Amino acid sequence: MSIDPITRQVIRNALVATAKEMQTTLVKTAHNPLIYEVQDFGMVLTNRFGQMIAEGSGLPGFLACLPPTIQSGLELTTFNEGDILLSNEPDDTGTHISDTVLYMPIFYKGDLVAFSAVMAHWADIGGMMPGGWCPNSVSLHQEGLIFSHNKLYDAGVLNKELHRFILRNVRYPKLVDGDLNAKISSCQTGARRYLALCERYSKETVEEAMLETFKLSEERMRREIESIPDGSYSAEAFIDHDGVVRGKRHRMQVNITVKGDSMHIDWEGTDPVAKGPINHPFVGTAALCATTLKSLTMPLDATNDGHLRPLTVTAPRNTLVSAYYPAPCDSYGYVAEIIVHLIVRALAEIIPERCPATTYQMCAYSLSREGEKGFIGGEPVDGGGGAFPHDDGPSGIMFAGNGDAPNTPIEVMENRYPMRFSEYSFNLNHRGIGKYRGGYGVVREFQVLEDNIDFKSSTENNQNPFWGLAGGGDAGVSTIIINPRSSAEIILNERTDNLWLSKGDTIRIESPNGGGWGKPEERDPKRIAADVKNGFISLDDAVKQYKQDKDLLEKLI
Amino acid sequence: MNKSHLAIDVGGTFIDFIHFDPASQSLKVEKIPSSGALESRFFEGIEKLGVSMENLQMIVHGSTQVVNTIVQENGAKVGLITTKGFRDVLELGRGNRPEVYNLFYQPAPPLVPRYLRYEVSERLDYTGNILTPLNEPDLEQAVLALQAEGVEGIAICFLHAYANPIHEERAAELARKLCPELQVCSSSEIVREFREFERTSTTVLNAYTQPRMSTYLKKLERGLAERKYKGSFAVMQSSGGITSSKVAQQAPIRTIQSGPAGGVIGVAELGKQLGIDNLVAADVGGTTFDVALISGGALLERSLTHFNKRPALQTTIDIVSVGAGGGSIAHLDAEGGLQVGPQSAQADPGPACFGFGGQEATVTDAQVVLGYLDPERYLGERMKLDVEAARRVIQDKVGTPLNLSLEAAAAGILHIANMNMTYAIRQVTLERGHDPRDFSLVSYGGGGGLFASALLEELSMKQVIIPQHPAAFSAYGLLNADYREDLSRTFVKAHADMMPSELKERLSELEREARDWFNDQGLDSSNVKLERFAELRYLGQEHTLKIPVEPTDLVASDLSGLRNRFDDYYDKAYAHALKDHELEFVGLRLSASLASTKPSMKKLAPSSALLQDAFERMQSVFIAAQKKRFECPVYAREKLQAGHSLVGPAIVEEWNSTVLLLPKQSLTVDDFGNLIIKNDATKKVKA
Repeated sequence: MSIDPITRQVIRNALVATAKEMQTTLVKTAHNPLIYEVQDFGMVLTNRFGQMIAEGSGLPGFLACLPPTIQSGLELTTFNEGDILLSNEPDDTGTHISDTVLYMPIFYKGDLVAFSAVMAHWADIGGMMPGGWCPNSVSLHQEGLIFSHNKLYDAGVLNKELHRFILRNVRYPKLVDGDLNAKISSCQTGARRYLALCERYSKETVEEAMLETFKLSEERMRREIESIPDGSYSAEAFIDHDGVVRGKRHRMQVNITVKGDSMHIDWEGTDPVAKGPINHPFVGTAALCATTLKSLTMPLDATNDGHLRPLTVTAPRNTLVSAYYPAPCDSYGYVAEIIVHLIVRALAEIIPERCPATTYQMCAYSLSREGEKGFIGGEPVDGGGGAFPHDDGPSGIMFAGNGDAPNTPIEVMENRYPMRFSEYSFNLNHRGIGKYRGGYGVVREFQVLEDNIDFKSSTENNQNPFWGLAGGGDAGVSTIIINPRSSAEIILNERTDNLWLSKGDTIRIESPNGGGWGKPEERDPKRIAADVKNGFISLDDAVKQYKQDKDLLEKLI
Repeated sequence: MNKSHLAIDVGGTFIDFIHFDPASQSLKVEKIPSSGALESRFFEGIEKLGVSMENLQMIVHGSTQVVNTIVQENGAKVGLITTKGFRDVLELGRGNRPEVYNLFYQPAPPLVPRYLRYEVSERLDYTGNILTPLNEPDLEQAVLALQAEGVEGIAICFLHAYANPIHEERAAELARKLCPELQVCSSSEIVREFREFERTSTTVLNAYTQPRMSTYLKKLERGLAERKYKGSFAVMQSSGGITSSKVAQQAPIRTIQSGPAGGVIGVAELGKQLGIDNLVAADVGGTTFDVALISGGALLERSLTHFNKRPALQTTIDIVSVGAGGGSIAHLDAEGGLQVGPQSAQADPGPACFGFGGQEATVTDAQVVLGYLDPERYLGERMKLDVEAARRVIQDKVGTPLNLSLEAAAAGILHIANMNMTYAIRQVTLERGHDPRDFSLVSYGGGGGLFASALLEELSMKQVIIPQHPAAFSAYGLLNADYREDLSRTFVKAHADMMPSELKERLSELEREARDWFNDQGLDSSNVKLERFAELRYLGQEHTLKIPVEPTDLVASDLSGLRNRFDDYYDKAYAHALKDHELEFVGLRLSASLASTKPSMKKLAPSSALLQDAFERMQSVFIAAQKKRFECPVYAREKLQAGHSLVGPAIVEEWNSTVLLLPKQSLTVDDFGNLIIKNDATKKVKA
């Protein structure tokens, strides 16, 4: 059966609109800042085989992780109308266990037709650290509760015991419960709209429309890959430490083979699973490879299963990018960033015009306290974007893997947490020079207003910084200073866990710049002059770093 | 003495003028191109209308001045003064990447470059307590430095100024004294809500657009004075209420959506007169389809809107816009899927059938191919359409590549455009907990009549209403607007800790400010209508719902009534009220309005004319659902009389607007000359 192209397009557009609506519902009803502020989530609709038909916004990596999660559910269990399932087993979901998937099968007149699914970071998942923030776990079991396609609702009936068990085992049960409801609302929105389409066009037509769309998307992706010259391309990068064995650095390597209209990404040469929690599950690695390929080729088209098909991904078992149970994965985010940037680095050799320099490695912190006046507040800190082949990188932007996450306004932070900020500005310590320079990182400095607060930070690649492209300068490193400008000043160039703060302590966080693109001496003097005029760089430094004539710059300022 | 009203609405291609004379209850319409210097066009149109200035009591202006300045980025050179440590907030923004796969995403550059941003020592906490007093020498130095740089205006935005404006007020006072030639504006004069980036951006946008807007309005004021005009001169705001030209010069940011607001107000008033309180207002132009919701007689509003990626905090009618209109271009995307818009052929070169060299297949071309538009009679025979050109582009750009017949291709283009419009309507209804089947669609703008019937069918809405003069309906709406002032305050406080007396006290403060504002405008503040709202959320949430505060809440023994109302609203919007979860106030809003004299709709004079008298000709029209052509009767709208009714397929034509009626739909002319279209077939199914 072939479907007419107009109906096919109408159905595809309707499903894309549905996924966006699922997102709106989640954001507006969530209780947890990681969802409504940080947008640490992803949501998709899949067909009854678990193949992605439409996605909402959020973290690109999450989006591609959801279909395999549903596919493993299909292998493991059977579904009834009204079921709602929970799953966060990293082997299935591809990230860490805080990112719990809630999904529901969608039935039309008794037949399974589709799934709607949401993955979002829970406010807490039990385990050794509040908020699922384990910088030094050595086993998955330390990290929190594990769900393996457990039914929270079975055929429409709430599993009260499971629900009570979950809420008893997490630190912020009200937040977690509110978010559970938000996720259910979101999935139900997806289901309602999907069923309306079946009613209107028949379930067969809706399915057929998407299967044909997959074919067209795959063909298009194959044409894109065909435009990349055949060959093999490799790149390597290093990680400072795994959080447990501090002295030892770890190596990652990507090997990309382009042949005709297919691409193969292999990770041979990457170090074995680490003792600490920096490991990345293979499902997540495959998902990031696919989303990176999409970013490089067709960034603005609505994604579906077809786009993922021309790519194959392999890795030796149990490496940093192919970790399996019981490897600890809680700090998987550093490797996730490197996966994306390594693929871009390897391909920059042949398609430089599509490849920006690296954006900064993640920089984030959290404050928390358990007990009666307990709270958890944390935020990823913006930094510098990598320079483009045609423009300077954006300053003060979220790191690549964190998608559409906005920062939290200071006025909101001060209303919500015992914090008082003294500075939010650009970090002028910048080395990503180039024909186009990397974006600037930021400074966030604050005082805590109460005692007994647990401070944690997330940084990486401070000894092995990210890189520029085509002769541009490196990305920067994260620096965290406790009580700056005082006699008790402590400067930290690595991540910390369980630093207890007292009332009046000050924390200064300096996030890194992005990498530069092209040789600094090729930079347009007008751009250099503008940077000097705006106080990003001193005239003397500009003359030195860009090898420019001082008189010329002075004239342009 | 006669007291007539004049509305002047500036659009992309035309300026519409509507004059209303209450004595004769007559409306007079004029239209002139909006090219060239708008100030002179403004008076040209008034002269063309032949309105006597002495008889005129009120002029209301819908202006695109501010939005154009923002879109074209040609505003003033301005400086910014912030709290020490925070001058980069404007440029840092929120750091998100809305296009998650786009490796080259670039946020909007700041409208004030870093070298024009100065810091002064001062600090408040979030309750408004002073932590560090304002350092006045710092402030004076910053102002003089900016003056030396040659800025035209200065924006001031301090942290937590929403909670206490004391430092901003003092800083503005000092700046004005020091440099009286500069336009100074502080954030607390514009908006009293938290989120420092959004508030700074709003203040900067205001300063950036102020010199241009104030020059423009001053010229108009001068021109009016020269012509001995003695009445009032008001400007439409984004909220749908009008304000004096003086306020529009101080706070131009309030007029960003001045243009589209008029039509929505017209729809709200039409609803009142017809006794219908659930309406979707839909404006179809050449490039966009703009929809707004009126639910239970109330306009749906929003407090944050982005323009060119830059946020503005202000009360705005919640208008959802999609790129679908007559000029929208149909094209195949990289995967071979048919897409329509958002690119538009605009007026130049326009659709291929205009014969100005357009080579793209547009929505209008598809309508010509299907016989919806008569090529010999377009715009009242002012323009001949090139049918061959329309057929060629539809066949070449869509038909051949998709292996579709010419008519299937044209029908497909319209179907995709229509579906895009339904998403916009769904966004304002379903996504906000409303069922489109409970709403009537009011369709206006030149292109509305050719889409309305298909939208009615697709969404099973109650009915379509097409008012008189649909192409000039936005200007008509301006005549119906009330004076309005919106005030807000952010503060975070648990619902459990709030007593009715405190709520009353906080609201009274806003009420006093509102009344002062009306008195300042020389308006009678005693007749002002007040609407009070609380921004509430469940503890732990970020997003709030705006809940009406009733007078009874303020005298009750506790605020449980407000609480129950919140749960109801929440349940309706998200299907998941948490009735035992704690509730939190995030702020209050007050909307104060003063009713203006409005044109009352006149009933059509009784007439014995027959429907046959309005019949013009038969026209061959392709109907997609039946996949065939029908011979349709065409009727002249100006000859239709109250009570006339027809069944589809049929066409009703006026010089600048055409209405298509589909098979199984009925059209009736009501007592006021509105066309009412119903889906009779759907109604039977529902019954």
